[in-house]
Amino acid sequence: MSKNIFLHEFRTRLKSVLTWSLGISALILFFFSIFPSFAEQAELTTQLLSKFPPALLEAFGMNRMNLSTILGFLSLVMVFIQLCLAIQASNYGFGLVSIEENELTADFLLSKPVSRARVLTSKLLAAVSSLLVTDLVILLVTFISIILFNGGRTYELRTLNLLLLSMPILQLCFLSVGLVISLLVKRVRSVTPYSLGLAFGAYVLNAFAGVFGDVKLEYITPFKHLDPVYIVGYAAFNSPLVLLNLAISLIALGASYWLYIRRDIPAVS
Amino acid sequence: MNIFFRELKANLKSLLIWCGVMILLIMIAVMKFSAFAGDPSMLAMLDAMPKAMVDAMSLRAFNLTTVSGLFGIMFLYFGLMGGIAAAMWGSDIISKEERDKTVEFSLVLPVSRSRVITFKALAGLVNCIAFVLITWAVSLLAVQKYNPDQAFNQFLALEMEAMFMIELLFLAIGMFLGCAMKQYKRSGSIAVAIILVTYFLSVMAGMDAKLDFLKYFTPFKYFDAGALFHTGKMDGGYLLITATIIVLCIAGAYWIYNKRDLYI
Repeated sequence: MSKNIFLHEFRTRLKSVLTWSLGISALILFFFSIFPSFAEQAELTTQLLSKFPPALLEAFGMNRMNLSTILGFLSLVMVFIQLCLAIQASNYGFGLVSIEENELTADFLLSKPVSRARVLTSKLLAAVSSLLVTDLVILLVTFISIILFNGGRTYELRTLNLLLLSMPILQLCFLSVGLVISLLVKRVRSVTPYSLGLAFGAYVLNAFAGVFGDVKLEYITPFKHLDPVYIVGYAAFNSPLVLLNLAISLIALGASYWLYIRRDIPAVS
Repeated sequence: MNIFFRELKANLKSLLIWCGVMILLIMIAVMKFSAFAGDPSMLAMLDAMPKAMVDAMSLRAFNLTTVSGLFGIMFLYFGLMGGIAAAMWGSDIISKEERDKTVEFSLVLPVSRSRVITFKALAGLVNCIAFVLITWAVSLLAVQKYNPDQAFNQFLALEMEAMFMIELLFLAIGMFLGCAMKQYKRSGSIAVAIILVTYFLSVMAGMDAKLDFLKYFTPFKYFDAGALFHTGKMDGGYLLITATIIVLCIAGAYWIYNKRDLYI
C-alpha cells in the first residue's frame, strides 16, 4: 500500500463522508423521535396479528416483525440507512478509478513508481476506511438514540450488533460491484446516475421481498441478503445469503484487480 | 434540431437500462401476485393492520387480491424510479457538457443558449414519455392473464399520467440544478440529496399523524395511489403546486444559464 495515495484519497473523500454521516444521523434521530408514539400503535397490531394463522403471516413476512420493540423499529429504519449506505458505497466504487480517467489524472498517477495493483489496493483501503468512518458515526448515533428514545426497556445487544455489522458487509458489496462495473464499461462519464441506478434498482427489487411469499428472483439483490427484518426476527444472519453476498464482493474485487492491471488507460492528447 | 437528436442518441443507453430495471420490477411483482390472486384470507389480514404499519410497509389499504390493488402498491415504485431517472437525465444533460469539456464547443455554435436548453429539455421530455409508455405497455402485457377490466385500465392510465407528472417535476428540478450549479459535480449530488430527502419524507409522512404536514414537501405524496383509485382523478391543488414548481425551475434554468459563467 502506498501511504501517499491512501492519504490523498482519504482526504478528498472527507467532505463527502461528513455529509453522508450527518445526513444519515439526522435520518436516524428523526425516525427515532417518532418511535415512542409509534410503539403504542404497533403494540395493538402485534396483539391483533397473533390471532392470525401463522402460515398467512409467513406469506407476508410479518411473522418476524414486531415494530413495538426498539429493535423491530430499528430494523425498519435500517432499511433506509442501508439504502443511503448503498448509494454512498457505490458512489465510491464507481468513482474509485474512473474519476482519474475523467479528470485526466490517470496517466499522471500511473507514471509514478507504484504498481497498478498497489494503486488499486491503496485506493480501495482508503474508500473502505471512509465507509467505516461513516459506520462508526452511525453506530454512535444509533446508541445515543436508543438511550434517548427507548425509555429504558431492554433489548438484545447481540442482535443490535448483528444489525450494525450488516452495514459494512453491504457497503463492501456495493463498493466492489460498482468498481467492477466501472472497469467493465469503456468509460464512466458521470458517477451519480450509475450509482443511483445500482442502489435504487437493487432497493426497488427488494421492496416486494417480504410480501407475497417466495420468489427466487429477489435473491439477486444485496438488500435481501442482509434483510434487517430477518436479522432481528431470527437474531442471526441468513448465513447462506450473507456468504453469497461476501462471495459476490470477493469475486468482484478479484475481477477488478484483473481488469485494472490490464486496462487501457486513455492518455491526455 | 441537431442538438435534439444528438441528445436522444446519447441518452438512449440510459433509457434502455432504466426500462430494463422497470421490466424486472413488474415481472417480480406479477409473479408474486400469482400466488396471491383471489385469496380472501389475505384481505382480512390487511384490513386488521393499523394505518401506520400499512403505510410504513407501503401496503396501502388496497384490495391486494385484485390487479388494481397490486398496481396501487406498485405506483410508489413507479414514481420513485421515474423521479430518479428524470432527475438524473435533467441534471446530466446540462452539466455533462462542462464535465466532458465540450461546453465551449457547443456554445460557440450559432445557436443561443436558450435554444440549447430548449432542445435539451425536449430530448429529456421525449425520454420521460418513452419511459412512461414502456412502463404502461409492459404493465398491460404482464396482467393480461388476469383479464383486467375496464376500471383497471382507467386506473392504470391515471397512474401513468401521475407518474409522468412526477417525472416532469424531477426533470425540471434536475435541469434547474444542472443550469444553476457552478460546479458540474454539485448538480448530481444535490439531485441525489433531493431524491433521498423527498423519498424519506414521504415515508415519514405516513407514519405519524403529527407528521402529516410533511406531505406538502414531497412530490411522491402529491399523487397518492389510494386517492387516485378512489377519486378517479388527480388532486387539483397538488397539480397546481407541481405546475408552479415546474414553471419556476424551468424559468430559473433559462434565466441563470443565459447569464452564467461557464466552469471550464
